[in-house]
Amino acid sequence: MSASRKSPVKKKSPSRKASPGPSAAAGIRWRRLLWQLLLVGLVISLLGLAWLDARIRQRFDNHQWQLPARVYARPVELYSGREMTAQNLDQLLSLLRYRLDSAAREPGSYARFDGGVLLHTRGFRDSDGGEPAQQVRLRIDGPRIGKLTDGSGRPVPVARLEPLQIGSIHPGHSEDRVLVRLEEVPPLLVHMLMATEDRSFHQHHGISIRGLMRAVFANLRAGEMEQGGSTLTQQLVKNFWLTRERTLSRKLVEIPMALLLELHYSKAQILETYLNEVYLGQDGGRAIHGMGLGAQFYFGRPLAELEPHQFAMLIGLLKGPSYYDPRRHPERARQRRDTVLQAAASQGLLDDKVLSHFRNKPLDVVPKGGSALYAFPHFIDLVRRQLGRDYPPHILASEGLIIHSTLDVLAQLVAEQKLGEFLVPHKEVNGAVIITAPDQGDVLALVGDKSPRSAGFNRALDAQRPIGSLAKPAVVLAALQQPAKFHLGSVVTDGPFQVRMEDGQIWQPRNFDNQSLGAMSVTDALAQSRNQAIARLGLDAGLGEVIQTFQKLGVQSRIPPYPSIFLGSLSLSPFETAVMYQTIATGGQRTPLRSITDVLDRHGQPLARYPVRPEQVIDPAPAYLLQWALRQTMTQGTGRYAVAQLPEKLVVAGKTGTSDGQRDAWFAGFSGSHLALVWLGRDDNGDTGFTGSSGPLRIWTSIMAALPQRPMRLAPAAGVELVWLDPDGKRLSGRGCDGAREYPLIAASIPLQSSACGKVQSVPGGIRKWFKGLFD
Amino acid sequence: MVQRFVRLILWSALLMLTACATRMTDPLAPMSMPPEDTLNGSAAETLWQQAVIAREQNQLSAAGRYLERALYMQPESSWLYRELAELRLREDDPKTAEVMAQRALRLAPKRPAYQAALWQLIATARARQGNDDGAARARLEADMLMRRQQNR
Repeated sequence: MSASRKSPVKKKSPSRKASPGPSAAAGIRWRRLLWQLLLVGLVISLLGLAWLDARIRQRFDNHQWQLPARVYARPVELYSGREMTAQNLDQLLSLLRYRLDSAAREPGSYARFDGGVLLHTRGFRDSDGGEPAQQVRLRIDGPRIGKLTDGSGRPVPVARLEPLQIGSIHPGHSEDRVLVRLEEVPPLLVHMLMATEDRSFHQHHGISIRGLMRAVFANLRAGEMEQGGSTLTQQLVKNFWLTRERTLSRKLVEIPMALLLELHYSKAQILETYLNEVYLGQDGGRAIHGMGLGAQFYFGRPLAELEPHQFAMLIGLLKGPSYYDPRRHPERARQRRDTVLQAAASQGLLDDKVLSHFRNKPLDVVPKGGSALYAFPHFIDLVRRQLGRDYPPHILASEGLIIHSTLDVLAQLVAEQKLGEFLVPHKEVNGAVIITAPDQGDVLALVGDKSPRSAGFNRALDAQRPIGSLAKPAVVLAALQQPAKFHLGSVVTDGPFQVRMEDGQIWQPRNFDNQSLGAMSVTDALAQSRNQAIARLGLDAGLGEVIQTFQKLGVQSRIPPYPSIFLGSLSLSPFETAVMYQTIATGGQRTPLRSITDVLDRHGQPLARYPVRPEQVIDPAPAYLLQWALRQTMTQGTGRYAVAQLPEKLVVAGKTGTSDGQRDAWFAGFSGSHLALVWLGRDDNGDTGFTGSSGPLRIWTSIMAALPQRPMRLAPAAGVELVWLDPDGKRLSGRGCDGAREYPLIAASIPLQSSACGKVQSVPGGIRKWFKGLFD
Repeated sequence: MVQRFVRLILWSALLMLTACATRMTDPLAPMSMPPEDTLNGSAAETLWQQAVIAREQNQLSAAGRYLERALYMQPESSWLYRELAELRLREDDPKTAEVMAQRALRLAPKRPAYQAALWQLIATARARQGNDDGAARARLEADMLMRRQQNR
């Protein structure tokens, strides 16, 4: 038993008998390793999924669209009696891309009826709540709006056309989009999108096996990655989180991400995000994203107003925005559009008749330069600078602020047209125009180049040029603020003289015509722009006082302390010069020129108002006297051309200016409703060949004639009286007396002495002056 | 010299008088629009009415926007400037309020009571800027106008 027990056979234990050989053991080890690897893989996959899941949720939940600030022109007010020609209205409707429709059923459309127009406005948000979309029926009676009613004939006191978007503010390279909510997206666009890109969108859970198989077969057939087979969810994943390359590894990440996205978010959320995220083209450094902006960019209209063939074009662009760019490759784009229309028809979205109708339509794409978004680069430049004082660049580039500006589109177009037309024969000469509303300080128009769509050098803001005789009103005002010494009838000598400067140099002013006219009143010296007379007046009034007056008028640039500034050796930009004349036009109330009225957040809630904030910096009486003298410049002096051309009742005032060698020619003038400044010059600083009268005054006159005008007020300011003076300006006189002229005078400057002719009426004046002096 | 002396005496007396005088009506108290104001019956009147509602609801920003829009339509309306002046006072911007009230005065019809109310508004705006002399002069103007009204 024991031997048998010792036998090797017997010694073989059952376990040993069952144990595998070396190869089997290795198999077990491998199997174990495999399990371990699988386990590790599973853990890694789960961790990866968890990481992807966190990434998806983090991005999706916290995503805030980068929305540049949008700038809008002043909304056009419609009310009975407003000056507006039929041509003006057509111009506005064309800019706002209103569509002619037999009954103006939809916002953004209009219908013509006998002698009138029925508009369906789009509505907008503003700091006063804004305006609803509504039907407004109006008649144009000659140059004015006649009756204004709603669609059913009830009178409407005031309505507003929505403001035209004139630009957006974004850094050099950025995404731009107009956010749309899903409920604002036309259902047909959504259905056409699904018909083309993802027919089983509502059935799948992020990926479509059928779509994938179709893509695999197509790629095998082609021998390369030709089709993606992606669902809309996968496309969103790709756009939102991944790169654009078509690789297997990307696909492997894309699929679980799509599944996770569908797990957490509704179809509606995914679709809305997709519609706002898709890339539709490039505009220089600005990437066009989302259907909302795509509609504006390609068709100049809100998405809701597009027609099926335009939806088809937008959807067609998803496959290759550059390849199918309808502006650069219209034929290719049209084929792609028709393919999308066909796909929509195959899904029963369009019947044969409708399909044929829309296939026969042109692309209807607006020319790139034709959009108002790029039309006024120099005004947008001003808005950007003024906004930059209150908002950092990253806020302007991302928060979707809504900026209501002061731009009056019609005034802007007039200014551009008149400057451009005048300079057609003068290739070397360029110019700038600024138009403001004096009472509000609103910049209504700003042109910085005779090619106004060019976004280059903004001459209106950045050209620093000698202002020539535009400086003279400041000299006269400095004198008139010293009523005990000067008044408008004071006599100054227009004759040669010289001044030795501190540095030893001699300053010897000369007149433009190289003549000297001798004794003349301050009024005539200004009206005829006599250099020697005004220079003498400046010296008598005091260099310091003149500099102070420039500053009070709003000049912030450094003013050199030399008497040559009396004649305009001072260099200012057209904009700063307009600020100065704005103060003159408002009777001494300095009103900062504003280009913005309101800032709203992306939801239309008011954030900031930029109200009118004038400040009385010059006493109303001398300010009025200067206005009166500038009126004489127009009726008797260098501005006579304008008065001859403009309607008789239109009271205007202004001043011409020409710098040395006719390198700069200026005119600044105002009515009751508009102040306009025109500058002409050459970029190489050469001779323009123009004086203020022969160039800018002509342009100014044509601009003023084309705008609805209100005459300036001529009623004397408090403390000013109209009196007759002798030619020497030192004695009171009377109507009909030899050489007597009537001037408005501040009580303190009314002479006590009177001439024999005017004695009778002058005595009470003297007594009155004494008593008035008690209160001045 | 004599004139300067008389002026000193007069001003001292007037300042004392205005200091002793009973205050006129509250400048922010409601008053009525002069019938000849260009706003009357115009399309801009609707905007003014909306401004009044907004102001009553303490939506001062919206009220300001309505008034500015109305002024574009009726720039010769003294009443609109008065309303804007009053609004700026409520917004604690007496400097702008003074300028707006002066504009209102420049466009005002020859109604002493109305003009006196505008001077009173100017006086309040000046006083809030710390310009007590200016405020006293404005009150004096208001007093004189009120007396003229009473003597009619």
